[in-house]
Amino acid sequence: MSVTKLAYYPGCPSEATALEQHISTEAVFEKLGVELVEVEDWNCCGAAEAENPMLVYALNARNLAIAERASLDIMTPCSICYYNLARTANALKEDEKLNAEIKGIDSSLEYNGTITAKHVLDVLVNDVGLDELKSKIVKKVNIKIAPYYGCYISRPPGTAYDDPDDPVSMDQLIKLIGGEVVPFSQMKTLCCGGPLMMTRADIAYDMARNILDTAKSAGADCVALACPLCGMMLDAKQADIEKALNIKIEMPVIYITQLLGLALGIDAKELGLEKNVVDTKELLGKVV
Amino acid sequence: MIKTWELDPGFKDEIMKEPGGEHLTSCYQCSTCTIGCPITELVPSYNPRKIIQMSLLGMREEVLSNPDLWICLICQTCTARCPQDVGISDLLSAIRRIAEKDEEAGKLKIESPRPLFDTAFLHTVEKYGRLYDIGLAMEYYPKREGSFIAGQKAMMKDYKDFGMRMFFKGKMGPLGGHGLLKGVLPSKIKNKDVMKKIFKWAEEKEK
Repeated sequence: MSVTKLAYYPGCPSEATALEQHISTEAVFEKLGVELVEVEDWNCCGAAEAENPMLVYALNARNLAIAERASLDIMTPCSICYYNLARTANALKEDEKLNAEIKGIDSSLEYNGTITAKHVLDVLVNDVGLDELKSKIVKKVNIKIAPYYGCYISRPPGTAYDDPDDPVSMDQLIKLIGGEVVPFSQMKTLCCGGPLMMTRADIAYDMARNILDTAKSAGADCVALACPLCGMMLDAKQADIEKALNIKIEMPVIYITQLLGLALGIDAKELGLEKNVVDTKELLGKVV
Repeated sequence: MIKTWELDPGFKDEIMKEPGGEHLTSCYQCSTCTIGCPITELVPSYNPRKIIQMSLLGMREEVLSNPDLWICLICQTCTARCPQDVGISDLLSAIRRIAEKDEEAGKLKIESPRPLFDTAFLHTVEKYGRLYDIGLAMEYYPKREGSFIAGQKAMMKDYKDFGMRMFFKGKMGPLGGHGLLKGVLPSKIKNKDVMKKIFKWAEEKEK
């Protein structure tokens, strides 16, 4: 295992709507013996709402710079935060003039390109590594799982770390913990609709329903995911989708860090499994 | 029919000057972006290829007033598949920003509430350094509905059940033992001055 210490960028949803993702990420890395140092006084990445890339670069330069001063690569559990951190790192490395200009805003924005941004799933599968994870697994997560990657793990090409059409990192992790991956390849990387949730809920609900329905007809016990906005859409809003479309879905949606945590023998409560909105209790009986 | 005398030959340069719009003229109209777009599947009128062609032709008014601009998910599928590296997701974002500038200048009325949402989101980031969901909703809904009362009603309709779910699951409020007013009050960063500087700089850059 090459990684022992990382800067941890939790992102805004970690403080409320995606609390369980945050808790389970911390619990998993503690169990793996990887120290996470929270990026001190971190700020929002701008998410998808900052359409001006200059604003994204300046906001994320600060977070990158804080991690760089501690000489640590920066890791985040949120796919949008990951995209914004990673594209900022790329832009500031490639464009010296832009980097100088951003440094000019405030000295705390000085990023010299010596550390990189990583997504939690990438760190787990590719840095900690499947062999290391395997050696620490104590339980079999005997669950049928639909692996849902969403957008920024495999797109766009400049920042993605997995295959754009058929990403595999989550599939590998699910198989490793004893889960069964249900056929889901046509849905894996389809957008959850999250960015339109507040302005065109009709479209957003349709997209989320499509993903959840497909998981259900593929025989999944739950959907696994790696992004808090996908979690908001597929889990926290699932009851709203059911109500608006007059359907029943009742599909548990669980963060991949929670599933891995169970396999590592971490207590369900420490992984925040009572905080997922669609009930996960029934599934816990299948962890043996 | 295209009114050739109303075309704006400078429109493509205007787009290409915006960050993200640089590769507009690389497009050779293969339509890969549109065929793979998850929005086009649901809303057949949505056609990024056509938006690009109209932009290249200089159909400024038609492009900027197209309501479909505001239903892009920024999911990056088009960007990932484009054989010409047009960067369509970023390109559409550049076009949306031009539309927003036109609206600010009183030249255009955007029907979609999306700019209001984005603005309300960013206001909380500028003020606190982090997203504050409740502050965002308190600004967005009244602006979208046109009055404070109508805004509160719309917000309750959308978020009453959701809020209760967050409360009982211990994600917002006192339950669950992660702080009494978690998610209810804004989470603030210490260095708020730097947020002011960042937003001021980015705003200047947009001009």
